[in-house]
Amino acid sequence: MKEKETTEKTSKKSSVKKNLAKKENPYIPKPYKVLEYFRETPDTFTITLDMQIEHDPGQFVQVTLPGIGESPISICSYSNKYVRLNIREVGNVTKALANIKKGDTLLVRGPYGHGYPMKLLKGNNLIIIGGGCGVAPLRGIIDYVEKNREDYKDVHLFLGYRSPKDILFSREIEEWRKQYNLSVTVDQNEKHDFCYDAKTGFVTEALKASNMNNENKVVFICGPPVMMKFVIEILKQKGFNDDQIFISAERLMYCALGVCCHCMIRGKFTCIDGPVFRYDEIKDLKND
Amino acid sequence: MVYRIKRDELNIFLEGFARKNQLVAPLKGKLAKFELVKEEQVKDIYLEKNTYFPAKEFFFKKNETVFTFKDNKIQEPKLETPKRIFFGLRRCDLNAVKHQDKVFMEQIKDPYYMAARENSYLLGFHCWEAPSKYCFCGTLNLADYYDLMFYDKKDYFLVEVGSDKGKELIKEFKTLFEDIDITITKEEKKIKGADRLLKDDIKGLYDHPDWQKGVNQCLSCAACTNLCPTCYCFELHDETKTSNIQEGKRVRNWSSCQVLDFSRVAGEHVFRQKREERFKHRIYHQLEYFKERYGVNMCVGCGRCIQGCPTRIDFVQIINEMK
Amino acid sequence: MVKAKTIIKNAPKIKPKVAFYGITGCAGCLLSVLFNEDEILDLIELIDLKAFPFIKEVNVEEKYDYVFIEGLVASKEDLEEVKRLRENATFVVSLGACACTGCIPAYRNFTLKENYEHLLYKKVEDLEDVQPTPVDMHIKVDHYIPGCPPNKKEILTFIRSVLRGKIPIPYSSPVCVECRQNGNECLLDVGKPCLGPITAGGCNSVCINGGLECWGCRGPSKDMNLELMIKILREKGFDDKFIQDRMRTFAGLKLPMLDEVIKHTKEKVGAKNE
Repeated sequence: MKEKETTEKTSKKSSVKKNLAKKENPYIPKPYKVLEYFRETPDTFTITLDMQIEHDPGQFVQVTLPGIGESPISICSYSNKYVRLNIREVGNVTKALANIKKGDTLLVRGPYGHGYPMKLLKGNNLIIIGGGCGVAPLRGIIDYVEKNREDYKDVHLFLGYRSPKDILFSREIEEWRKQYNLSVTVDQNEKHDFCYDAKTGFVTEALKASNMNNENKVVFICGPPVMMKFVIEILKQKGFNDDQIFISAERLMYCALGVCCHCMIRGKFTCIDGPVFRYDEIKDLKND
Repeated sequence: MVYRIKRDELNIFLEGFARKNQLVAPLKGKLAKFELVKEEQVKDIYLEKNTYFPAKEFFFKKNETVFTFKDNKIQEPKLETPKRIFFGLRRCDLNAVKHQDKVFMEQIKDPYYMAARENSYLLGFHCWEAPSKYCFCGTLNLADYYDLMFYDKKDYFLVEVGSDKGKELIKEFKTLFEDIDITITKEEKKIKGADRLLKDDIKGLYDHPDWQKGVNQCLSCAACTNLCPTCYCFELHDETKTSNIQEGKRVRNWSSCQVLDFSRVAGEHVFRQKREERFKHRIYHQLEYFKERYGVNMCVGCGRCIQGCPTRIDFVQIINEMK
Repeated sequence: MVKAKTIIKNAPKIKPKVAFYGITGCAGCLLSVLFNEDEILDLIELIDLKAFPFIKEVNVEEKYDYVFIEGLVASKEDLEEVKRLRENATFVVSLGACACTGCIPAYRNFTLKENYEHLLYKKVEDLEDVQPTPVDMHIKVDHYIPGCPPNKKEILTFIRSVLRGKIPIPYSSPVCVECRQNGNECLLDVGKPCLGPITAGGCNSVCINGGLECWGCRGPSKDMNLELMIKILREKGFDDKFIQDRMRTFAGLKLPMLDEVIKHTKEKVGAKNE
């Protein structure tokens, strides 16, 4: 794992250098066309942007709505043709974004941050655990694996949602079921609405029930902090090491350039050192 | 290279600047601060003690227009700064500029900061001894970072050249400066009575109960971060015009890690909810986190955060007393 | 009733119906709206001003999108008025200190009845007395624009923001944040009983800029250290009666814990002042 760390660090340095070479104003977003707008659930939607950029799964972009503000949104796709953003309506910017239509232009800058180091993880079995809108950045991994299927062994998806109507990516989920080990759970299911064959219960229970060891496996977790905490506990019980686990952090962010300091977690910037961290890097950092 | 300038000729030198360009230097007022100095004000420049407010706002402005917009079109502002000479920056303030340079010119190329910084000349003023009882720069390994440094020798000033820009200035006014063949040693540059901070590594002290002494005295009023010459946190806001709400600008304002809103995300969650976490965050950013990234302490030991604190929380003493 | 969210979503398309009403108060906050002389005509263009009895002859009583209420509830009539406004409004904004915190008129809550009983209007039967209280003690308030008077720009900012589809986050940090950025001398240091450290800012520290200490008109800040503030004021030589009075002048009802805190805050601050 040490070897990986050094390569990671050098890659970090080179990306900083790349930024230096650019003379353009880092705060200015650029316009991109909206190719598609799709309403996923009552409070989330996915937009596809005509944006051709090189990026890693798990990186994010800053979306600007002039007059309202800027918001970091994780990229939930992996393609050199487009960028897909899954957005949940929580704040001012994301609520206003819900009004966007196909054909509009959207001001975006990025990509930013450290995504999932997929190249370093070749040859592993992948376990992907997502809760609610935390599934969005993880979808980038799924897209990545689809394009590089031969590099990875088994893929196991554990996706948890609040209720059947909150299930994200309904268009793709059946396809995933065919290709990977998929387990979808919903916390509540009052109407006993068994679309997608989802089990009722927390994602942690599904995880506990599954038969697995830590051999040649890496785990990616993204979801609400409470869920991540319990998932990590279960994984530890199952014998996983800290450096096999990748988690995502969420913080208030303005610049995404490692300057404004709002996203700092004990000296680590979520925007340039994260948002994806290997668990051993930040496990002692707690909230501050 | 060291030069000499007579005491009464210094004012001629500065007045020359004030006439042709912009001169920024400390003026006393109610509280000493760096201000634009007119030719006739040069005699009032205040050098007895360090200023209450730092010179930070001249480079990292508290209210900066990032861009203007109309509908979905974005317009970058034109950035032009006249030639400015800063006189009377103490060693701590010079290093503060250095540390902000690292953030805004190395980490990123911040066009606003760079435009303000580009045409600026930094003229330092050496403290022979600590000008305030709150100073603690002595143990923080401050670097030589200036265009010219002035050493007060009563009848005359020794002027040390620190950069090519400084050399240029001397050339421009060469009749006033006398070339002398001496060097100022490191020992001479040492500021007396400023070695208050006794620990240089506080990494292991995060959970120390003594932090509570400071936290109990903390109002979270953000005086410390606003008076700090190095604190560089900011936030971005959009403002619109009443005449056309599709038109407006994005502004960058100073921000303080001491207030709750600093770490609040959509959905009303605040990450650093406890006062203690916020209090420690500032000190650890100053003495630990910045060092991890840039190799130097962010803190320059000017003591303004203690001097300006309504309850004078002396975190240096708190750290020193920790066992 | 249309949901607030729907209005915000459709914001750019329809002009919102706005009303400005005043109940018991000095009308200074309504004046603050009008003091935006240079922008008031633009403002009228942006909104559909349905009611503003202070300046308008015809005031349509109907469903409003945004209602600004100035003043506090001090009579039965006020109470009926705010309830009616709440029923007719999607979004209620408390405008000014009286509506937000109770301000000076609410100080009556802290005196004995015999001190003011003789001053009540006994002959006017219509005026039925109600204990003076801020608007949010009677109806749900969606947003606060505090201050005595409120910052006139803040009113415009609010209207512009909702028109663009965002509800501004109230400024909850202390007055000191802006005060220090404005380069002011700390008035506590010169011995004035400034309440800036425990008062929510957003006023651009206007009083301190002019040399007057903060009286706390914008109400307590979200994470005030009240205990320490009391200790500091004692240290500066103010007695508990003074501290209590000062803190209650503008935001008494929002500091229900004040008595208790003063009681259990025993000592002075241990600061080493110059």
